[in-house]
Amino acid sequence: MEQEKKLTEQESLSLITMMINKAKESYHDTGIGAIMWGAVIAICSLVRLSEVQFGYRLPFDIYLLTLVAIIPQILITIKEKKERKIKTYDDPYLDYIWLGFGICIFLLIHISNNIFGDSGSWADEYKNITGKPASFRFGEYVAPLFLMLYGLPTFITGAACKFKPMLWGGIFCWTCCIITIYTTIRIDLLLTAASAMFAWLVPGVIMEKEYRLYKKEQALLDV
Amino acid sequence: MFNDLDPILHSQLRLAVMSLLISVKEAEFTFLKEKTNSTAGNLSVQIQKLKEAGYIEVIKQFKDNYPQTICKIAPAGILAFEDYVKNLQAYLTQPK
Repeated sequence: MEQEKKLTEQESLSLITMMINKAKESYHDTGIGAIMWGAVIAICSLVRLSEVQFGYRLPFDIYLLTLVAIIPQILITIKEKKERKIKTYDDPYLDYIWLGFGICIFLLIHISNNIFGDSGSWADEYKNITGKPASFRFGEYVAPLFLMLYGLPTFITGAACKFKPMLWGGIFCWTCCIITIYTTIRIDLLLTAASAMFAWLVPGVIMEKEYRLYKKEQALLDV
Repeated sequence: MFNDLDPILHSQLRLAVMSLLISVKEAEFTFLKEKTNSTAGNLSVQIQKLKEAGYIEVIKQFKDNYPQTICKIAPAGILAFEDYVKNLQAYLTQPK
């Protein structure tokens, strides 16, 4: 680009439009984080489903995998931030939304574990008095709360980044949230796995594909 | 009656840099170079002019032991860019 070339008004306007579009197109998420979390949540839900279905128990809680996944997520975030040449105005807001989401999920796990523990003793007492098992099982009502939370940051990110697969993924989570209020724990786990796949895994794969394409184009331009 | 277009902005490379910076919070020098297809020397001179006009802020720092230059648009730059686009629109919408 020449330094002092004088432009006509029309050329100026075209240049502004072109550069704004270039800036918009230049940010591509690698999608690795989304793929990882989509896969982790789907695996956890499906393994728990198989435990419930086939009546066995792993020697550890499969959901501990989510804690392990935090370590690669931190490494991915550091690497992606290092590689990025621009910062957008949305970045800090989206970072805080996902951080807040993570905190809410762990609070919800803590809350549900406590209430779950208490409701167990109520159920035992009910069985002792009436001789019948309690019809209300708190565990069957936890999934909608998680799905409601899954939908929120996914929907906001999809809308803010104008990335429709994630936007629809968020809506899918909320749809499943409503369905799981009326279904048994087996269906709840199946829908949780489906939500993780539609909200994160599939959009992540699409993002990763777009990122690779962008990198390829950049490499060709550099030649 | 039309206002004159800002001479600082009415130049190809400087306008390209300002258009890129208006769309993001901040950008590395290498990003601007890559997107404008300009040479490092040429881009440095134009960035210096924009900085002297108070339109952009330039931050020089080190990243992994390598020098890194970060540019971001200043409030005066946002105003100047908005005025420039307004004047441009006035020129383009004038009856011929």
